[in-house]
This record gives sequence, structure tokens and C-alpha cells, in this order.
Amino acid sequence: MTPIEQQTTDHLLDEQALSEFIQHAGEIEHPREMIIDVLRAIQSHHGWVPDEGVELTAAILGLTPLEVEEIATFYDKIYRRPVGRFVIHLCDSVCCWTRGAEEIAAHLQKTLNIEFGQTTADGLFTLLPSCCLGCCGIAPAVMVKQQFYGPLTPEKVDELIAALRQEGSA
Amino acid sequence: MPTLTIDNQTITIPEGKTILEAAEALGIMVPHFCYHKELGAVGSCRMCAVTVHTGPMPGLKMACLIAVEDGMVVTTGDETSATFRERVGEWLMLNHPHDCPVCDEGGECQLQEMTISSGHGIRRYQGGKGTYTNQDLGPFIAQEMNRCIQCYRCARTYKDYCGGRDFGVMGSRNRVFFGRFKEGMLESDFSGNLVDLCPTGVFTDRTFRFKSRAWDLEQADSVCPQCGVGCATVPGGRLRELQRVQSGDNLQVNATFICDRGRFGSGYANHPERPRQARQGDQIVSVTAALTTLATEIRAAVKQHGPEAVLLVGSDRASLETNWLLQRTAKHFGCRVPVLNAHRRRHQTAQMAAFDLSERLASLQDIRSSDLLLVCGVDPLAEAPLLALALRQAVRKGGRVVVYDPRPVELPCDADRVAITPLALQELLADGGVEGRHLRDLLGQAKNPIIVAGADLLGLAGLQKIQKWAEKTSNAERPCLVYPVLAGANSFGTALLSLPEQDDLLTRLESGKVKMLVCVDADPLLEAPEGERFSAALTHLEQLVVFDYLPTSLSQHANLFIPSCPPVEDSGTFINNEGRLRRFQRVLKPGLSLATGDHPAREFSLGTPGSDPQPAALSLQRLIGLEQPLAELHRQLVQEQPRLAALAKLKAGEAGSRVAPAVARPQQIDRLPEQPAQTLELVVSPARYGGDLFSRYAPKLEPRKRPPCFYLHPDELQAQGLKDGDNAIVETDFGSIKLPVRSQPDMAGGCVLVENSEVFPHLIPGAGLSYCVISPGGANE
Amino acid sequence: MSQTTQVLFKNRIPGKTVFLKEFSANGGYQGLKAAIQTMTPLEIRELVKAAALRGRGGAGFPTGVKWGFFPADKPGIKYLVCNCDEMEPGTYKDGVLLQADPHQLIEGMILSAFALQTQVGYIFIRYAYEKQAENLRRAIAEATQAGYLGKNILGSGFDFELHVHGSAGRYILGEETALLNGLEGIRPNPRLKPPFPAVRGLFGQPTTVNNVETIANIPHIVTGGAEWFKDLALTPEGSGTKLFGLSGHLNRTECFELPVGIPLREVVETYGRGMWKNKQFKACLPGGASTPYLTREHLDVPLDFTSLEKVGSRFGTAGVTAFDEDTCMVAVTLNLIRFFARESCGWCTPCRDGLTMVRWLLEMLESGKGTPEHLELLKGQLKNISGTSFCALAEGAMGPVAGLLTHFEQEIVDHIEGGRCPFSK
Repeated sequence: MTPIEQQTTDHLLDEQALSEFIQHAGEIEHPREMIIDVLRAIQSHHGWVPDEGVELTAAILGLTPLEVEEIATFYDKIYRRPVGRFVIHLCDSVCCWTRGAEEIAAHLQKTLNIEFGQTTADGLFTLLPSCCLGCCGIAPAVMVKQQFYGPLTPEKVDELIAALRQEGSA
Repeated sequence: MPTLTIDNQTITIPEGKTILEAAEALGIMVPHFCYHKELGAVGSCRMCAVTVHTGPMPGLKMACLIAVEDGMVVTTGDETSATFRERVGEWLMLNHPHDCPVCDEGGECQLQEMTISSGHGIRRYQGGKGTYTNQDLGPFIAQEMNRCIQCYRCARTYKDYCGGRDFGVMGSRNRVFFGRFKEGMLESDFSGNLVDLCPTGVFTDRTFRFKSRAWDLEQADSVCPQCGVGCATVPGGRLRELQRVQSGDNLQVNATFICDRGRFGSGYANHPERPRQARQGDQIVSVTAALTTLATEIRAAVKQHGPEAVLLVGSDRASLETNWLLQRTAKHFGCRVPVLNAHRRRHQTAQMAAFDLSERLASLQDIRSSDLLLVCGVDPLAEAPLLALALRQAVRKGGRVVVYDPRPVELPCDADRVAITPLALQELLADGGVEGRHLRDLLGQAKNPIIVAGADLLGLAGLQKIQKWAEKTSNAERPCLVYPVLAGANSFGTALLSLPEQDDLLTRLESGKVKMLVCVDADPLLEAPEGERFSAALTHLEQLVVFDYLPTSLSQHANLFIPSCPPVEDSGTFINNEGRLRRFQRVLKPGLSLATGDHPAREFSLGTPGSDPQPAALSLQRLIGLEQPLAELHRQLVQEQPRLAALAKLKAGEAGSRVAPAVARPQQIDRLPEQPAQTLELVVSPARYGGDLFSRYAPKLEPRKRPPCFYLHPDELQAQGLKDGDNAIVETDFGSIKLPVRSQPDMAGGCVLVENSEVFPHLIPGAGLSYCVISPGGANE
Repeated sequence: MSQTTQVLFKNRIPGKTVFLKEFSANGGYQGLKAAIQTMTPLEIRELVKAAALRGRGGAGFPTGVKWGFFPADKPGIKYLVCNCDEMEPGTYKDGVLLQADPHQLIEGMILSAFALQTQVGYIFIRYAYEKQAENLRRAIAEATQAGYLGKNILGSGFDFELHVHGSAGRYILGEETALLNGLEGIRPNPRLKPPFPAVRGLFGQPTTVNNVETIANIPHIVTGGAEWFKDLALTPEGSGTKLFGLSGHLNRTECFELPVGIPLREVVETYGRGMWKNKQFKACLPGGASTPYLTREHLDVPLDFTSLEKVGSRFGTAGVTAFDEDTCMVAVTLNLIRFFARESCGWCTPCRDGLTMVRWLLEMLESGKGTPEHLELLKGQLKNISGTSFCALAEGAMGPVAGLLTHFEQEIVDHIEGGRCPFSK
């Protein structure tokens, strides 16, 4: 394993997480099972997983960057491109669809002035679709930072955006 | 053995085979993509669907996944399965671009064939087609992802079979992408196999791109001449240009894969500096005239100075026929016995393989199924790349590989590696104490143990010890086999042919008795150590005669030069590392490539430019007035050498059978030189690219070649007061050399490693234990 | 709330998570304590078999039979994996269950592990349920401290360690062999079966994969017995209760624990409080996105495995999504197929490329650009994708397509003849 330079990885993982991962990878029989854990930790710390994040994961687990990339690019909740501070995942599966998700989608795009897949100019919001979030009882719903918000109406959407905006400026 | 019925035809086939294999044996080709006989069946493409009418759950089944059962009834042409296969064809073609007119794969494209055989024709899907941005994967492989049908064969070949770790599958659903993490040259030494394994035109030979259509190529079953493994190849030429090399099939040797060195190293055939005309002094002459002159001069020399005056030299890159004809030629003119290999030590070790180890030789197929492999003194990726791939297959099946070598031996599989100096390795093999006993126990307890022995590094002494180990660890149920790694494509063959009294070439030259040296497809300056002594000895000659196809400096200095042909322009035989007869068939005739300029060619002449060269074997036959068909030559050869009886039935493209074994000869102990004080051991290894002579004249391989340097273990560097990147001077038995040093933690301490290639031809591997002194070399000039 | 015996939801207080103190006070871990001391692993396995529990993750495979394949006595490491990665649209019961009562799952895991003699357990939990994952980690810590996890549990000599493993999206991870690959950190394509996970599973070792709700039932079966469990159901073939996640055009979309075999009508009218906005019931997905539609004619069908199979549908995860009379069933099917096509892992042709074709056909039909040929093509696709893919994802995708063609072909014809979707405004 190539030695990992701390100062070049600060932006990807904090020191403690890095040393814990390195230690754990040395203890278990199959370090590969940690791939998602490390990628998610990098994403929590950095907001998304850049190429260096893939390389760092590979270095920690004794894999090649390609071997990590094969996994990272399979999962839609690992972001391999820059995202805003808040990624708004709007469910576009059938239950949310029956309860007005298309209307919410239109409203979100209009309010934030971006299309799905884009990030607002102030870097605060990214809009992404998601398959069923698993909270169909509160449809239509979005997920932001692994929290559900629903059932949404255009008004509730406005409230949510305002609250997140405030959190973002704090 | 179960008997089953497929399309009303019955077949009895071993248990464990699948319906697909049974159908193939009946001559019924069930369409398929993801199945490949070396990669196995994974059942992802769903193209091989057939209807099984018997059993608890009859219906549509994937033929590649179902094992045959007694009484099974299968149909392939029924409406259900035929319609389904047509549907699969349609689905796979959903995104496929209409690239056939501009796609290299056209004409040898499995997608074309299987789609037509599925019955699918017109695309009914009118939705959007997925497209991709291609990656630059380096100079060897071109990528066109839009053509992909997601059969996953590339990933399975590169990662699973060849052990590469920088290429794979990313993304998901119909957006899966087969490529690298970042653009750049593919790192595996077997990357070229993507070209053969991809069933469509996603991965094609970039060096062959847009050159020729497969049906315009002249192709024949040949054998790669670049190392001793003897892989089956199918070179393709057109308009006198050797344009590409594909892998051939040989279950015993290379399965269906070849290495990049062999695939992209064929530039020697059309090298712009290849000598194509016979030359007498400064005058260009015809080959016939040159041969006539040669015959006259040989007779004159022998008459005047006796049999010692003319010395004929062959090589381990010359065919069996050429080397044998040299012996006939010597007899014909009354000369001393020819030297068939200028490198005395390589000759001796090859003779050990050809005689003393001949009863216990292992094939690569044996290696692939072995459970315990002791790899001694070999760097497979440098010396015999397909051997590395065979080792990997053994490990994949649960086998264990143990490597003892001074070099940082890299393998595409897990292995237990011990970095040990050559002298220490000899001592280990002599007895080895606890460690030696442990290794012999491992071998003794294994079900199919094989010792892979590197002839160059181990030398005669080492191979003799290996023979004893193999004898000790054999038992009544099974022998312990040996796979000797020899340097050349025909090292075994030349060794087998050699008469016992072959003298050392250098000794004879330095005796002053030789007036005329005739090198046939041989260059002692490049092929034997002691280059300085050879150069000096050559100056005493009256006549230097060279037959060759490579633009070597020796050919330029020859008084009489006769152009010969490489194996692709000849038909003949090699014997590979494990004593297997390997027949190659002529692919194309020599000539300057007509593929340049206008097409069709607009130059007209009575002869083809550059077509003077003729195979050395033919020239020798004409020299002694004995031109005859190959079959007749073989008949006479077998009379002299009964071990070669299988020559009579040998055909190109077949696996080839082994030569008959010989009785082991009594061993003469080779004494090892003691290590002088304050010296390091010198390890000379062939570079992976540029190590063998052929790859030195292959411009395509440039991107893989490395600048020369001395490698030392970091502790050794420190002990010598050197830092990584410093220049150093190394004094050896063969002269003094200055190069930068590099730190290499995976090698043995106590030695200096240097690679032999065209940028560093000075030290030749296989020269035996030798020692050197290293000192700082000062600044760069 | 409902008058059904609340078994799984025994400790549930909406909005709250119950941890060890309340869980134990309400009888938690009593079942474990009793069973681990007085029953043998084989006896527990026989009990689960007798209780006729069927998998709650969608496939409905009899748990006792699945456990019967497992080599509990084989030496060497064995694994128990809890599948909490169900991402079938309409399925949210696992999230509700774990949010309410993480210890119930843990007790179930320990009992199951003891029965199967697996020394290591994983709870494979979907990305979106991070809160539940945190709760589980806390509950595991509590259980470890209390001696219910770790070495020599309750002096029985049985060791069991339990880990929570988070995922990162993608529906295919709900398929058990794809889940195992995902856990191992390799590409989560499904694996070829045979060999089944019981023979060669996680890291090549014997493994059982069960759904959250399935495992949560185990402690109750152990304490209540097989007959009690079977009697909870309303149909003779059914057993136990089921968590029904209601969604769609109902007045009340919540998760209820109801008896297996409850008629669809009661679910819609009593628990869903009828269709919203005074609309009429038109159709529903009875058990999640991959189950063929039920229509008005099925309102009296009991919701259990056997009865639904008889009418050409499936019980699945019992995620009931109801559609009112103004819903375009072609549009519903298109939404579902878009989901399946996007979630295909990309391994086999009928799913990866077949669903692409089906999606396009439905887009043409829904947009009004469809022709009779497109309808015929759709029928052909259904025939050739059913039963031919490498795993059940494409099979499930054909559920709604089959339902559409069986019950709503006229609606498709109306789209074609009208040149537009008859339900669009």
C-alpha cells in the first residue's frame, strides 16, 4: 500500500476517520467490504467523491483505483461529480407519482431555477431524482442528507428550501 | 457417460459437459456471446437459449449453463427458442451503430455472425441510442464503446483470466462502461487479448486500424518466435507486409491467448533497414550468385587449411530444419561439426532439458492444473509471459505458487515470494537445510507438483539440482514434473540436434584455426556473452559470411551477406521449452510492402521489390544441391534423430506432440565460481520488451520499453553510499558499465540487477554466476 | 387503530423509538432467554417450519424450508444476513418497523443465528434509512452490554457478533445474491444459482439471507408457538400477521399490522379510509411495484400468498398502492417500467435491453404516438422477457405489464385510437 500523506487527504477524511479505516482494514480478512463505508465517509466530509477520493479509498484498502471506481460508479447515492451543499433527491417512483410528485418536480425546478441534474449557482442545492425512497406513506417526498421530508406541497417545498437556505448560511 | 439427443441427433459425451458443448461436438453451432471456452459460462447474454423437453422443469434453458443428462432431449430450432434468440439479437442490436463499413471487426465479427444466425434483421426500436465518449487506452487498443453489447468478456479476460487490475466495468444498466479509471495505456502485458476476445468492434488492434479487411489477409497457422513457450499464432499479411498477429489455439500451450510482446512485436519482418539483398563486399549480387561464390570459397578454404578452417554457426531462433541442414552442409563440405548455439551455457542448459529432463517435462496445460508450483530462478513476465498466465490459472483453481528468485518477480496472481541471490539459490538447491526440506516436503505432498526452472539464472549446476529434487519428490502415483524456461523458440531443438562433441565457439575462434565463419540466422555478438572477446576474435577471420533477416551490425560487417527469412516467411519446426514439436506455416512471401502509396499498387516491375530473401533452410539446400520437399527432409532427419518421429504427422495449427524422451546422461558437476570479497552478484535479466531480438526491431513496442539502469535493494544502495537516481559504474567480467541506479525494495540484497535490451545489449543473460563491483559514477555527461 | 393483535408493532409508538429499557420491560429478550436455554437449534428450526412463516421480503419463500437447506451443523464460519435493502416502490414497512423497534430485529437475529448456528450476522440496510441504522447500532451496543450479543451468549456457549452494513442505493441490492456481492465490496450483480447461498454465500461460506420483517417474527413464533402464529391469519393457508404499507390515492396512507388473509376491500375502506377526494377505486398494486394489478373485481380477494397467486398476482411485500378512476394505467405502467429499467444492474440482455425496449413502447403508447404494432410488440416483449432473465428483476418488471395487458388492454387501444392519453387534461 502506498503511504498516504496526511496533508493531501485532509479535505477527504479527517485524521481520526482515516486512521480508523487504515487500522480496521488491517484487522479484517476482507478489507473490500469497507468500500462503501469509506466512500460514504469521504462523501460526508467532502460533499462528493472526487478522483482523489477514489484513489484514497484504494490506498486504504489495498485496491487499485479502478477496482474502487467499479463500485463507486454503480451506486446512485455516491456522487462522483461536485454537488451542492444540499442534494435534494425527489422520488419519481409510482407512489410519489400518484400523490403529485410531478407537480413538486416542476415547482422545485422553477423555484431553484435549475433542471434535474444541475446545481444552483450559489452552490447550495442540487436536484436529483431518486427511485423509491422507502417512505411511501408520506408521499410525495424528498430526501435531503438522509432525512425525509413529506408529504410535500408547493408551500411545504418553499418552507423546506427556506429552512435549508438558512442552515446553509449559518 | 450420458447420451442425449439434440435436434434428433444423438451424442454420448462426458459428464459435466454442457448442452452447448455437446451441440458443438455434433457440429450444431448454438449462437452465444458471453460463453468462451477459456472464460467459462456465466449466463449473462441469454443468446444460447434452447428448449429442453425432458426433466422436471422443461422449457427454455441457457445451453451454456445446463449440464448434460442421460436421456435429455433438446431442440434448437423450435419456435420458442428460435424466436427468443431472435429477440435477444434484436435487444443486443438496440444501440448498435451501423458501423460495419468502417469497423475493423467486419468479416470476423461474432456479432455479425450470431445476429444473422439468430434471424434478427430490421430494427423495430425507434428510440434513442445510447452513446459513449471513448477513452484513449494507449497505442495498442482502440476503443469504440458505442459498439458494445455488454457481454463482459473483456472484463472477464483482462481481470479474471489475465489478472489485470487497471481495466474493468463501471456504471450500471445499459450505461455500463468498460475501460480504465483514467485514460492511459493499458498496463497488462496481455492487454492485446481484448482484441481477440471482444466479439464486436469495441476493442480492436490499434496498430492494425483501417489497414486491411480480414478476408484480404494472407493468414496461416504459425508459432511465435520470440520466446521458448511456443504459442500458436495466426499472423496476417497483405501486400508483402506483416500487418498483425492474432492468437491461435493450442490447448497444451497457450490455450487461446498470447502476450503483447508476441502480438505487437512483429515489426522485424518489414523493418525499413531489413537487409534484403545479397552482398559480396560492396557489390549487390543475386542470392544464387552469392551461394555459388560461397560454395566455391568453402571448398577452397577446406582444401587449403583443412576441416577446421570453416565454421558454421546456427542459433536457437533458427528452425530445426535450418540447424539440421547446417550439419548436412558441414558434412557435405567436410568441415568440422557446426556450433548450433553461440551461447555455450545456454546450449548446455538446453541440452539438460532436451535429454536429462525429457522424461518429466510439464506443459503449460499441466501447469494450469497444478496444485503446487515451485518457480525457481525465473521471471515469467520477462522470459516466458504465457507461463505467468498459466501460473495464474493454477492459483485461480486453488493452487499455490512459490517463487525463489533475486529479481522483483511480478506475477498476475498471488504467490509466496522469496528474494534470494543466485548463489544463495544454488546453495538452497544443493541442500538448503530446513528451508530446502520444507520445499521438498511441499512438493512431495502435492498432487501434481511442478518445478518451473529458469535455465539462464540456474545454469547447468542449478538444473542438475532441480533434476535431483524432481526425482526425490516423485512417487509411484505421480512424477514431479519440470518446466524448463529456455531462451529461444528453438533452444530445445538445437540442443537435441547437437552432437556431443560440439565445441565452444569462442574457443574455436580464438584458436586461430578458423578462417571463415558462416553465421546462419545467428549473431554471436548479440546472442552470446563475452562480446568483446568475440569482436576481437572476429578480426582474425579472413571471411565473415552472414545469413540473416535482422539488420544487425554483424550482417553489415559480413564480407558475404545472404538475406534470409523470418519464420513468418518460412515453413518449419521449432521445439519449445517442454519438448513439443511446433510447426509453423509460411504466412507471406518476403518483399517491400506494397501497401504503401496508392491502392491498388501502381508500380509495375517484373520482380517484386525486396523479394530476394529466401529462407536459410532453402539456401542451404541449394548450397549443397539438395533441394527437396519438406516431407522428404523430415524423413531423412527422423532417420538420424529417431526421437523426432512425430515430425512426419505434424501439421501447423495442431497442438503438436512431444519428442520421444531420452535417457538421462551421467551428470558432470559444474563447479561454481566462488564469490570474491567486496563484490556483489551480477544478475542480468532480459527486459520484458526489447529483451528478445525480435522485439528490438518492433517500433510498435516502444511505449513499453524502459530506459536501462542498475536496480539495487534500498539497503544495498545505502550500504554502497548511493541514492536512487545517482550514476554508478559497475565493473564486471565482461567490461565496465555506467548507468543510473534505481532503488527496488522487492529484489534480493547483495546483487545488482540490470536488464538486457537493445538500448543495453552489452550483458547477455545466462552467462552463469558472476560478480561485480559498484562505485559511484559521478554526474551525467 | 386496528383491532388486530399487534405482534410486530407491539412496542410501536409512532414518532418514537423504543430502546432496551422499554423493550425489556415489555417482555423483550424473554423469548431469547428461554429458547437459548431450553431449545436446541434444530427444535427452533422445526418450530419455524411448523409455523409456516413465508418470507416477508417479496418472494414469499417458506422460511422453514429455506432454513432446512442450511447446513447448520457444518463446521466453519457461517453467516446470517438481514436484508433491509428492499427498495421496491410501495414498500416502506421495513423502515417503519426498524424506526419503532430495533431490538425486535436484534432478538430475531440472535434467535435465528442460534437456530442456524451462524457466528456472524450482518444487517444490510439501505442508504435512505440512516436514522434506523444509527438506532440499530445503538441497540446493538445495548444488547452487547446486556450479554445478548458477543461470546457465550447467556452462558449458552453460542457466540454471535452482529454488524450493521450501510449501502449506497440501487434496487438490485435487494436481490439476495446481489446483496452478498454488495456486502463483499464487489460489483453487485446477482450470482448464478446453484450454488445457493446456503452452500456458498458470503465470502464463499454458508449464508442465509432473510428480510427484516421475516426475522422480526421469529421471537414471537418462539414465544407463542406455531399454532398461535398460524391462527393469527384469516385464511387456512396463511400464517401470522403482515405489515401492510398503504400508499397511493387513499385517504390514509400509513403502515398497519394486519392479519394475513385480510380482504383487499377492508384494507382499502377501513384502514385506507377509502379513496381520496371521493373517487372510486380502479386498481391497485397489492404487494409492491412488481405485483400484477388487482382491479375492482378483486376487492374481495384475501390478501395472502396463495389467494393472490390464484388470481394471477402476488402478495409481495404487501405494499398496497391504490389508484383512483382518473388514473391512466398506461402511465402507471410506464412509471414502473422506467423505475425497473433505470435500476437494472446491466448484467443480462432481457433486463438491460428488453426493459429499454418496453419503456420506449410504453412511452410511444402513453404519448399518443402508439400504433397497433406497438401493442403487438409489447405483447411479444412480455412473452420473451418473462422467465428468461438472469434474476427476478426483469420478471418483476413484467408484473405490471402483464396486469396492464390482462385488465387494461382497452385503455391501450383508446390511447392508440385517440392519438392521446385519454386521462390527460
